Amino acid sequence: MSARIAGIGCVTPLGGDLDTICRRIEAGERAAVVEVTNPETGRKLCAAPVPAEYTAHLGREPRLRRSSAISLLAAAAGKAAMADRGTEFTPAQKSRLAIVFGVSSGCVQYTRRFYEQIVKQGANAASPMLFPETVYNAPASHLAAMLGVDGATYTLVGDGTVGLQALHFGTQLLELGDADHVLVVAAEELDWALIEAHRDWRLARPGKGALLAEGAAAVLLGHDGRRGKIASHPGESFISRREASAALDRVFTALKPDGGVDILASGANGTWVDALLRAATARHFPSPAPRDLFAKEFLGEAIGAGALLQVVLAADALERQSSSRALVAALGWNQQATGALITR
Amino acid sequence: MTAVGIVSPLGLGVAENENALREACDCVTEVTAFDTTKCRCKSAGRVGKMTDGEFGMTKGLHRASRMMIGATREALRADEAFAPEFMIIGTTSGGMSFGEQFYRAQVERRRPKERARWLANYQPQKPALDAMEAGGFRVPVQIIANACASGSNAIGHAFRLVRSGKYRRVLCGGYDAISELVFVGFDSLQAATTDKVRPFDKARSGLVLGEGAAVLALEDFETAQLRGATILAEVTGYGISTDNHHLTQPHPSGIGPEMAMRRALEDAALSPGEVDYINAHGTATPFNDASEGAAIAKIFGARVPVSSTKGMMGHSLGAAGAIEAVFSVLALRGQFLPPNINYREPDPAWELNIVANAARTARVGCVVSNSFGFGGTNASVVIEEAWE
Repeated sequence: MSARIAGIGCVTPLGGDLDTICRRIEAGERAAVVEVTNPETGRKLCAAPVPAEYTAHLGREPRLRRSSAISLLAAAAGKAAMADRGTEFTPAQKSRLAIVFGVSSGCVQYTRRFYEQIVKQGANAASPMLFPETVYNAPASHLAAMLGVDGATYTLVGDGTVGLQALHFGTQLLELGDADHVLVVAAEELDWALIEAHRDWRLARPGKGALLAEGAAAVLLGHDGRRGKIASHPGESFISRREASAALDRVFTALKPDGGVDILASGANGTWVDALLRAATARHFPSPAPRDLFAKEFLGEAIGAGALLQVVLAADALERQSSSRALVAALGWNQQATGALITR
Repeated sequence: MTAVGIVSPLGLGVAENENALREACDCVTEVTAFDTTKCRCKSAGRVGKMTDGEFGMTKGLHRASRMMIGATREALRADEAFAPEFMIIGTTSGGMSFGEQFYRAQVERRRPKERARWLANYQPQKPALDAMEAGGFRVPVQIIANACASGSNAIGHAFRLVRSGKYRRVLCGGYDAISELVFVGFDSLQAATTDKVRPFDKARSGLVLGEGAAVLALEDFETAQLRGATILAEVTGYGISTDNHHLTQPHPSGIGPEMAMRRALEDAALSPGEVDYINAHGTATPFNDASEGAAIAKIFGARVPVSSTKGMMGHSLGAAGAIEAVFSVLALRGQFLPPNINYREPDPAWELNIVANAARTARVGCVVSNSFGFGGTNASVVIEEAWE
């Protein structure tokens, strides 16, 4: 299934706009690592948050005044992708605009704070202001209100591939005729509990494994668009790591074009997925090898936002490098292998 | 729709659920899984012990996984030739209680062996993967988390994919297991009641939570007919809308539910007069029922029978749309109207034909099933008798 990319946007630890982020990546800059302390155990953790100033301008939006960071991140990326299209939506076009939001861990800051109140102060002290913002679809709801979307709004949850799953869902909506444009957004926020959990899960230990990060990415899909055409894959489920390699092979086989690709935007993140992605690339693109775009090396692993960030950076790289084809490949930690092919 | 599977507070499996619906059982009980001393509400609809053969091999998995496995196995056993090509599942909270245990362990400075299992099973996609493994298949899966509309969204999107020819067979549904965080959440919002759940009653005062899972096998009609499958019912329409009024409160005019229902009817090429029964979202909160009641009255008047089955089993959130779709199929197959229990006095704000307190025998050929959720997300699904 395919669609055209009409706009892209993102916010990451390296910047609040695409140009800044790409310039800093080209300069070899990496996301600043911040020390985070687990207040319960005193254990020191590390991660790469998005500086608050990148989203501060959205704090005055009526629906975002009390929201968690993830809603601000999603709104920033979503608005950037809408602006990247270049022209305002007419009311008629807006009535045919859908939103698909992808997330992995969700609104973890408010979820942890709300449960902390239950555990430490008692259920009767838990704030009703926090609970509504803990639901997975709160960011999508805020975005729909900001953009005036009253049709289809979906939130998808998954592992690190969820951004590509959301993208595929968006192309499904276009092909089904349910919308003329789909704003696909994926975001992730950090909290010490999330970082601690991934450290405990042996995926994000200091100096070993992934550097967890915040971020958001957005892709505006339509039947036309200047940023190229994107073909998405529905994903391949795997239950164990043993199955993951074959799942990845099926994704590469389905997406790879005759003549190879110029850019491979890999989901490598410093964990066990790297070896599988590297091996699949070598099998499917032995020579000439495509140029690698390891976004997560610079931006960290923004889990739910990670795969869509790869798409945004790959689409941008195609334009900057006057190339024609980029393959995006992602392997989640416990669910799916998937990918997308961007063609200009 | 060639097969369904269900696990709910009303029972394990289709037969137990149908019996409970016909008998108007009140399956809401006191919560004992966690401390409710400081909560206003102390009750919920809980799924009974899952210890029979359906669940025997699922020790160590999250309760949500066990419910999904039970529902999936029942559906696939009912139609053994159904080979899914795609899976779409709705949920709101995944394996939340494992996340709670992880947090408590941090606070208590414990590092139990189980924490790896908690983390791996916390994520919302895990119960769907566990169901796949138990069912012996691997397909791409989409997990929709559109709050309490998730289950209906999953069915609706699956229906659209099958109708368009993108897939021939899609397994869809929803699940949710009660957790302390979500229970306290609704209590903190004062959306949970200390009374009985009384959908559409003048004196309604809120919901209680429920839990469960339901899975539905959707296949394109011609393929199902060709292989001689039993066709239980047909999904013929789906409508979705987003109400931007407030994160947790619907617009009092009922515009969100109205748009979802009108879009579903249009999708099914039906007029309101052709609908025989509405399985309402009917949470029994003052705001939801006011909004939904106004929308139903505006579109259908007082002719069409309406009931909410949440009085019997509570609100199972992401599972609700899927469970209530199965109830709708049971109504179509059994030619009866599931009851709206604990109903005493009509709300004068609208005139509705409520199926009060007892199931009714009726001619049922077409059902509209509604699900609405936080974030202003609204979904309606039209289900009709299978056309022979």
